[in-house]
Amino acid sequence: MFSFFRDGFYKDFVVLLILTILLGTVFSAGIAWALDAYFGDTLNEMIGEYGQYDIILHIQEDAKEAAFRELERIQEQQFPGARLSETISLAGQANFFFGLPEEFRTKETMTNLASYFAAVPGLTGHTIISDPSLLIRNVHGSVADVLAEKIEQIPGVRFTFPDVGNIIVLLEEPSLSRTVEAQVNQLIDEYQLVELRFPMGFEVDTQQVGAQAIQVLKETLPGRKYSNVTAAQYGEDLNAFLKTLVEMRDFLMSYASKVRITADPEAHLIIGEQIAIQADGAAPLKEGGLLTDENVVIEITAVSGGTAEGMIIRGEIAPSMESLKQTGYRVFSDGQIARPIGEVEVENERYRLAYAIDESLRLLEELEVLSVQAADAVDNADAVLNTFQEALLQLEVLQVQMRQLNEGIAGGGSASSEQLLMSLLINGLFQSLAQAAMQAGENSLDSLENLDVAAMRASLEQISSQIANVQSIDVQAIIRQIQYVRDTLPMLGDEEIGRSIRLINTYIAGQVIPGERIQILVEEGSVDEGQVEKLLREHLDNPYLNIYSTSVGVINPDARSEIIRLLTEVRAIIAGLLAVVFTSAIMILDHSTLFSTLKYLKRAGKEKVSRWKRLLDPVYILGGILGAVILGAVYSLSGAQIPYMSLSSITLIGLIIGILVACFAERFSPVNAKEVMAGQALGLSNVQIMREIVIPSSRPGLMNFLNRWKQQF
Amino acid sequence: MLEINSIRKSYAKTTALDNVSLKVNQGETVVIMGPSGCGKSTLIRCINRLTEPDSGEILVHGQNILELSDSELMEFRRRVGFVFQQFHLIGRLTVLENVMFHLVLAGADRSWAEKRAAEALEKVGLSGVHSRKPEELSGGQQQRVAIARALAAGPELMLWDEPTASLDPILVWEVLEVMEELVRTSSTTMIIVTHEVSFALRVADRIVLMDHGRIVEEGHPTSVFADPISEIGIKYKKLLAS
Ligand SMILES: Nc1ncnc2c1ncn2[C@@H]1O[C@H](COP(=O)(O)OP(=O)(O)OP(=O)(O)O)[C@@H](O)[C@H]1O
Ligand SMILES: [Mg+2]
Repeated sequence: MFSFFRDGFYKDFVVLLILTILLGTVFSAGIAWALDAYFGDTLNEMIGEYGQYDIILHIQEDAKEAAFRELERIQEQQFPGARLSETISLAGQANFFFGLPEEFRTKETMTNLASYFAAVPGLTGHTIISDPSLLIRNVHGSVADVLAEKIEQIPGVRFTFPDVGNIIVLLEEPSLSRTVEAQVNQLIDEYQLVELRFPMGFEVDTQQVGAQAIQVLKETLPGRKYSNVTAAQYGEDLNAFLKTLVEMRDFLMSYASKVRITADPEAHLIIGEQIAIQADGAAPLKEGGLLTDENVVIEITAVSGGTAEGMIIRGEIAPSMESLKQTGYRVFSDGQIARPIGEVEVENERYRLAYAIDESLRLLEELEVLSVQAADAVDNADAVLNTFQEALLQLEVLQVQMRQLNEGIAGGGSASSEQLLMSLLINGLFQSLAQAAMQAGENSLDSLENLDVAAMRASLEQISSQIANVQSIDVQAIIRQIQYVRDTLPMLGDEEIGRSIRLINTYIAGQVIPGERIQILVEEGSVDEGQVEKLLREHLDNPYLNIYSTSVGVINPDARSEIIRLLTEVRAIIAGLLAVVFTSAIMILDHSTLFSTLKYLKRAGKEKVSRWKRLLDPVYILGGILGAVILGAVYSLSGAQIPYMSLSSITLIGLIIGILVACFAERFSPVNAKEVMAGQALGLSNVQIMREIVIPSSRPGLMNFLNRWKQQF
Repeated sequence: MLEINSIRKSYAKTTALDNVSLKVNQGETVVIMGPSGCGKSTLIRCINRLTEPDSGEILVHGQNILELSDSELMEFRRRVGFVFQQFHLIGRLTVLENVMFHLVLAGADRSWAEKRAAEALEKVGLSGVHSRKPEELSGGQQQRVAIARALAAGPELMLWDEPTASLDPILVWEVLEVMEELVRTSSTTMIIVTHEVSFALRVADRIVLMDHGRIVEEGHPTSVFADPISEIGIKYKKLLAS
């Protein structure tokens, strides 16, 4: 079969191959380039042409007109010759480009650029887009100045300026960005920021502990320079949240039942251990037995000497003012009861609180009724006093009259029996009227008179005013308020409280939320995160300490370069896909004719080919090679780049396409067997058959086109 | 001039030629007949190696053509005219081009080739259709173009594989007439596969009867058809009698 190539067809073939590859490259790269150009133009419209603008100002859409006027003013007065244009609005924000004339592009102006626009109405933010530039993000404050100074020494750097935690490096030439980036990276790598993070709740003196940590590091990992550069703490929101959590935990803790354990000397309680008591359980606990649902489980939260404190994490104790005193038993996690450990005393704080509130409410209600009654009583007392005084007066008069009467009766000397009787009656009457006084002695009425009615009246008045005071208090309001407090008290059981406390503790002690942190700057060398963690946990005696190592800044290609890079990538991907499409198409439409004819010529006469030999058919091999060469060449020449696809895997795809096309060549381009056979019978060479019979009547294509120069008929 | 020695050819399921030997003398006209599928086409194709036999030898002037190199084979084929049952003309070429193109490709001068082609076309009675395309011609005309094509190179051997089998019966005679004329006037050795018994009787120097991949009878047409010994021969005799 390959006589074919010997007969000079290989020249045609090589030309065909080269032209195929060139055409493929032009096709793939061309379409990709056109797309790229189109997107590039769109992009420029959106984010301004490279190097033309310095800042994008984000303005609230509704303040757009006013902002534009102000920007025009700034343009005229502050930066004559500046470029100003509006670009697309996004999410309710208008965006304006502002570009400084070259003479204003100085370190000083750029550093303060944002401040020139501070008064623009509706300004919500800005993005610096000066080009050519590099953006270094998250630069640690402690090194920002030094770093900026060092960066400005790099050749090709015009100057640097800070922009909210970032450093922007302005370059002389866009082409320098790679080399400068590499050097800046080197500079950044000279520093290492080691962060010590403590869980929440650890109140760490950052200066003292920092110094301690540095001391440890200096001793164990010498040769580097360490400095404490602990920066301001975390965001206020997070702090507030953590504070709230801590408050909540404290509240829950005071609300939980108080558990005091008086441990047996040999009990050796430890924090976190679980102790069970019988509580309201039917049967007393027994070593080796199992817990029931009525039993209460306590977790030990603090131990000091022979006593310990804990909280209930399972079960409830009865509501009672009395504290519950029972023997505590250790329990295993499977609920099995172990040895007794001493006496456990539980006070139901919540019940006590609720009880106290209920009692206060009762008291208040009583108080109100009482005050009304007291007021009535005082009023009555006043009336009694008046009557009493009146009566006293009458009594005095009566006494005088009686004395006179008595004297009259006695003085007459000749008292009649009626007179005597009268005298006795009066005396008796008097006696019953003021028995006590009379009995007390002769001057008993006088002593009655001696009662200080005025003083009594004064004190009555005082009481009355106090009662009025009490009545003026809005007791009902107080009652309502207390009732409200009672009703809003959490309806939580001990178990729920205990679990919540545990949860909050793990949350604020955990690593999810950074606690106090200390930052140590390492220079003149670096340290290993893991090693430092191990070291400091040990030396600072804190197993919860976490160490993170970060760099003092991160180089970020600016947004535009990023998009441009992305576009280049997209173009490369499109070119790659087009290369595959082109290879498949050209092989199916054009080269399949070659394969089917080769297969036909080769087969003529020799029918008996085993299946396995057929796989090794040179036509398939040729197809594979052709596919691999065309796709590989078009792919690399058109600058295609499909992610995760190396040139060899692309070549493999080409190989597979080629073999497949060779396999199904007859379907794509059936051989006109009669004409080919005629050619053979007429003594034509295979090449002549190809040139004069097969290709001329094949599909119009590159092969057909090239053949015209060779074709004689 | 031609000596076929015990060639065999089998396909996946069938044995097309089973130990076939045949001698053909210079200038002789041999007609091969036999039922469909008996291996006639296979045999005749083996002679110019359109089909490769599995074994045996085919000597032409003492030269085993199965051993020819590619270029020698091409050279040999140019001296052998082959007429197919279905004409096998090149559809995109004109009649004249069809008859001359292989001459040019073999290195001949174009005008000379044109002249040869025109002569060949005249011989088959097709002088006025030079610039037509094959598809514009009738089947009989197309087959005559194919004959002209085979003749144009002046072959020393002509192989005919049922040249009239795919023709409309009323067009058969024009082709047979041309063939008969050719046999009469030229000294070219001819091997003709055909089912036309009376034609065979008229032109054949020798009749070869094949059945199931073997030659079952051969001899002068009168003796073969008058006194057949093979089953097939008897059938042909009956056919002739009716
Ligand atoms: N390319 C092929 N592949 C498989 N079998 C074939 C092929 N060509 C011919 N045969 C088989 O070989 C046998 C001989 O075929 P051949 O074409 O030589 O017969 P023939 O005598 O010419 O018949 P016909 O009169 O129909 O032309 C037949 O059984 C046929 O089916
Ligand atoms: Mg046949």
